[in-house]
Amino acid sequence: MIPSSPFLCVITDEAMCPLTLAEEALRGGAAMIQLRHKTASGSQLFSWALAISRRCREYGALCIVNDRLDIALACGADGVHLGQQDIPAAAARKLLGKKRIIGLSASSPDEAIRAEKDGADYIGFGHIYPTSSKDKGFDPVGPEMLREVAALVSLPLIAIGGIKRENAPQLIGHGASGIAVISAVSRAVDPYRATSELVYAINRSF
Amino acid sequence: MAHINPHGTPLPRLFLISGGQENPDNSSLLLKQLELLPRSLSCMVQIREKHLEAKQLFSLAQKAADMVLPTGTRLLINERADIALAAGLHGVHLPESGCPPDKIRAVAPDLLIGCSVHSSSSAIIAEHSGADYLLFGPVFDTPSKRKYGAPQGLDKLGKLCRSTTLPVFAVGGITPQNVSHCMREGAYGAAGISIFKPGEEFAGNFEQFYRVLYQ
Repeated sequence: MIPSSPFLCVITDEAMCPLTLAEEALRGGAAMIQLRHKTASGSQLFSWALAISRRCREYGALCIVNDRLDIALACGADGVHLGQQDIPAAAARKLLGKKRIIGLSASSPDEAIRAEKDGADYIGFGHIYPTSSKDKGFDPVGPEMLREVAALVSLPLIAIGGIKRENAPQLIGHGASGIAVISAVSRAVDPYRATSELVYAINRSF
Repeated sequence: MAHINPHGTPLPRLFLISGGQENPDNSSLLLKQLELLPRSLSCMVQIREKHLEAKQLFSLAQKAADMVLPTGTRLLINERADIALAAGLHGVHLPESGCPPDKIRAVAPDLLIGCSVHSSSSAIIAEHSGADYLLFGPVFDTPSKRKYGAPQGLDKLGKLCRSTTLPVFAVGGITPQNVSHCMREGAYGAAGISIFKPGEEFAGNFEQFYRVLYQ
């Protein structure tokens, strides 16, 4: 299940091996790892997803696969994270069942409300601040919109986009259940340390 | 030799593969192709539209699955077993570097699972991993595969067919004129992309293939 106290989700990218990154992030206290890699082959994704799922279980953390529901099903991951251009949540729910997690990306109040109606278990909301990790077609939504959306939906919100340890506590204060980061960990000199500092910042905030 | 798949009837010997990288923006071509299928002739159809996001791919797969197709036709999708299941397709076609077939089978026991292979060793691996059929190529020269080097040729096709008990579909520059050479090497059937472009020659090509494949 989604953690009930503020938590960190670390998302993998092409900057370093997802397996190494997941290991460092779990050691640093991340409660959720999202495997996201847009160019890897299916067999590579499967073996990463399987290994990360196992490590997550040992740490009591969750392993979520981005977009590739086929891989999530095949490796028995805890769930899948779907963007606006991915397979619809209703179709994913039929295949995954009720017990596993579906996260949906949203970047406006309307999308957040729709994600809740579509049966998501959490909403990845952002990007909050400017970010270079993803090629975004729109401006950052800002922390105030996060507060607004938190009042509109009852699902856990995971704030994403340009979040650092300095601004993470404020977002928890605005109603985020968790914080998701990509480059703040994957491109850090020491991913383990970057993770544990973020985890500390989030938990100090309340 | 008639190969039985999880749906209980022999696989068709003709295999139509949609789109391909040379047709970046015309995914609706697939639906046109499906409309043109001769009513009395079944075939394998692979939805392969690498430029589409999963949402669009799912929508296209649903539209294809809703069409009334010739009896015995098998509708598959490239790589995405989840979309195959969600849209109610017959199967999934895995690239050589795709998720292992047995891992897909474990969560989708009723799906037809095919694998692209480029060598006898990967044919053996795919068979052990529970694939239902193999796709091998490019056998002949074909514009879409030139960037990968020379075609594999008939000898390698023959060697691969002898290394597996699975039905092997030959792909890459296959025409109604040269398909008999592939069959003599042990191919079960033939697959094509560009030869099945919608147009006046579609039905004619289809029937010519059929005459050779089922003689």
